[in-house]
Amino acid sequence: MKHESLNQFKDSFTHYTELRAQENRNNRVTLTNGDVTGNVNAVTSGISARVYKDGNWGFSSNPEISDESITRAVKASTDNVQFMNKKDTSRCGIFLPETQANYEMDFTTPQNRQTQKHWVDYLRDIDGYIEKKYPELLSRNIVLGGLDMEKSLFTSDGSESYSMTPRALLYILLSIEKDGAPVSVMDVWGGLGQLEDKFSEPTEFYKEVDVLVEKLKKKANGVHPEAGTKDVILDADLAGILAHEAIGHTTEADFVMGGSVAGDYLNQQVASPLVTLIDYANTFDGNTCPVPVYVDDEGTQSDDVVIIENGILKSYMHNKDSARHFEMKPTGNARAYEFSDEPLIRMRNTAFVPGTSSLEEMIASIDDGYYLKRSSNGQADSTSEFMFGIGMGYEIKNGKIGQAIKDTTISGVAFDVLKTVDMVSSDMVWSAGGMCGKKQWIPVGMGGPAIKCKVNIGGR
Amino acid sequence: MERNELLHYCIDKLKRAGAEKVECSVSFSEKKELNIDSGEMTLLRTTFNTSLGISVIKDQKKGSTSINKTDKGSIDQAVEQVIELAKASQPDEAFDIAEKQPTKSFSKGDETADLDSMYNRMEEFLGYVNSTYPTVNLEQAVLDFTYSRSYFQNSNGVNFDINKGMYGFYPGFLSKDGKDTSSMNGTFFSALNLDKPLHKYCSIDTLLKQSTEQIRTQQVQNKFVGDVVVTPDCVSDFLGFITTDISDGKMITGNSLFKDKLNEQITHPGLTLHSHPVSEEICDGYFVTDDGYIAENNTIIDKGVLKTHLLSLYGSRKLGKSRAVNDGDAYLVDPGSMSRDSIISGIDKGVLLARFSGGSPANNGDFSGVAKNSYYIEDGEIKYPISETMVSGNIREMFENMGEVSKDRVDFGYCIFPWISFKGLTVS
Repeated sequence: MKHESLNQFKDSFTHYTELRAQENRNNRVTLTNGDVTGNVNAVTSGISARVYKDGNWGFSSNPEISDESITRAVKASTDNVQFMNKKDTSRCGIFLPETQANYEMDFTTPQNRQTQKHWVDYLRDIDGYIEKKYPELLSRNIVLGGLDMEKSLFTSDGSESYSMTPRALLYILLSIEKDGAPVSVMDVWGGLGQLEDKFSEPTEFYKEVDVLVEKLKKKANGVHPEAGTKDVILDADLAGILAHEAIGHTTEADFVMGGSVAGDYLNQQVASPLVTLIDYANTFDGNTCPVPVYVDDEGTQSDDVVIIENGILKSYMHNKDSARHFEMKPTGNARAYEFSDEPLIRMRNTAFVPGTSSLEEMIASIDDGYYLKRSSNGQADSTSEFMFGIGMGYEIKNGKIGQAIKDTTISGVAFDVLKTVDMVSSDMVWSAGGMCGKKQWIPVGMGGPAIKCKVNIGGR
Repeated sequence: MERNELLHYCIDKLKRAGAEKVECSVSFSEKKELNIDSGEMTLLRTTFNTSLGISVIKDQKKGSTSINKTDKGSIDQAVEQVIELAKASQPDEAFDIAEKQPTKSFSKGDETADLDSMYNRMEEFLGYVNSTYPTVNLEQAVLDFTYSRSYFQNSNGVNFDINKGMYGFYPGFLSKDGKDTSSMNGTFFSALNLDKPLHKYCSIDTLLKQSTEQIRTQQVQNKFVGDVVVTPDCVSDFLGFITTDISDGKMITGNSLFKDKLNEQITHPGLTLHSHPVSEEICDGYFVTDDGYIAENNTIIDKGVLKTHLLSLYGSRKLGKSRAVNDGDAYLVDPGSMSRDSIISGIDKGVLLARFSGGSPANNGDFSGVAKNSYYIEDGEIKYPISETMVSGNIREMFENMGEVSKDRVDFGYCIFPWISFKGLTVS
């Protein structure tokens, strides 16, 4: 549904205007204890226009994509900004920075598309393997999902872009009964690409299932962690969430304007000198990131944002309006989830930069602490205080991995925790399935090396 | 195509394509939305949307699709696709659709937004916050009005149409004084009209005032086991643990703590929880369940006794248990006899928990999370706002050890909740 003719409507623009046509395609199959409990396909598409004039915005969207509906959307958004301008003239004369970018990026699979029956059978194969080999499990949930986001954009600044950015994910959630209560573990695989790109043979996941069941059994026999401030190693999954939730959000320029604590820290030491944190636009170390963005939904070329460099807070993530406010350059972070959503400042691929330590050295350096592998959820706020659920982790005793731990929570103030980082591993692992909620949901990439730091861990 | 005709067309085409059972719904909505960002009202949005949902059962195999188009070409394509989805699936005797019920129309709220009134209320709210709470930063506030016309039909002859117009308001804010910053806080309410200033709805004024008090916080000095008074804004997090546990997902997989507890005591007798989607008390309820049944009010927990699971038609057939008469939500907790202040004055050592950052508990009910925008209580008095403080416990034990339910309640439009105290939680 590439729309190459959006520029024909430029004569109807009377102010700064963005015109976007978008289609999101979702496909999901769910198996619960072998039954197909979800078998769903959903497509939403439409057109949106956003207009800026004198410090105000007007927005309108319509599910129809036709010459007439596009003209209506431009007119409705222009009417909306005029309504706002009549009510409030205090920002009269404010202009946005101009940006121009032209780019096309299409990640559509080169492979033949498979049928829904293929994917149902794919999941049934994995489920059959689990059921046969591990009859002692209480429950098996397997979910396969694909999301294609396809956008065409034209702006009055002259930007034109097209992108087709897919994501394919496989979730396996298993539980077992222990002492009369269920215990569960979950893992997720996949990332950038369509289902055919990420999942070829179900047998490839047998070994992953074996590993997951082993973790489940260790966790079922695990111990409650001892509450308190502890030395921990946050593996890539948790380091990524720390980067995104606890630091990243505080440095989104709209949050800074709203009063986030990062507003007071620019160019100050906020972390150990070992810490460098970057929101990558599309490429890390020559490889495409999980959520590559080349031109954002305001028509700005997407650049990497170095948020923390060697422990010093260097910059924020911007859209055009916040860049105007801070007198900085827009960074290409404005993104919208659905056609009916306005672009907001969103992270793309946020990660700590790898260091020089090995994971083995990091574990060996801890006498009494924890190696935390997998998060179950995460939240943070404007103070950088965070809480992450821990779904899988281990004790570290005398420099060696010990028993698995039961579900717990870690918390802290991220800008304080980052000051305690004294080792960063040399590897980089991207998490597969990040989704971020901020008025709208949107796919994000997050990941990193493992980091060693001090956090509060909840006990019982 | 006329709207009713559209669903007839879908059902007829699907039946001719071999589907034995079909349900279709279509919804047309218009939303007006005013946004405050970083303390300035700068965005007006008008969005139109359409949603056509189709589910079919063929040879006891089910497929579902949804699109946001209603032209004949898109419908024909969706019909073809959903039949293919069903063919690709596996048979399950538990799939079914709602049986015939009398045709009915439902209606609630206005059809159009009063945009000038919305703007004036937002401007008034901005002025109120700036003058009354000068340290508050309104990070974002969204006031919207959505009007939708929805139609639901199935091949058993179910035929409903529903018109609904509703206002919704979300303010998100923090307070800042110099370099000191409070945690973010926010709330949400639904309303049929905007007949009073926005800060007078639900808990908004209380939370704004508390935000200004939370700029400078203290850590709780030592770990202790004490009482936790959960505020109406936060109580849904904990009740949600129970309602999720008695719903399809956990019930079908066997992970529910309450799967065999129907008509048994699962909480302290002081708790009575209703789901009232069609009550006059709940303005933002719903008329029809997702399965296509006319929604009814019910009592989920009566004086601590579990009276119903929240099973869908599929869940009920899968487990051989009763279908719930609604989809949950629209929750209402019966008031107790003590005031909020009296409950707090009876606590030796504890926490007033106003926001819980903790996510889902483990399947065994264990949970832990950070107490946000909360206060330390000692000798019956609120002493100081806290930070970096964790609350942990077990959901089942927590509700068994429940203390008091307040007679004061907060009406959010979509639910009505009191303050509830719980004994024996760990604060660290």
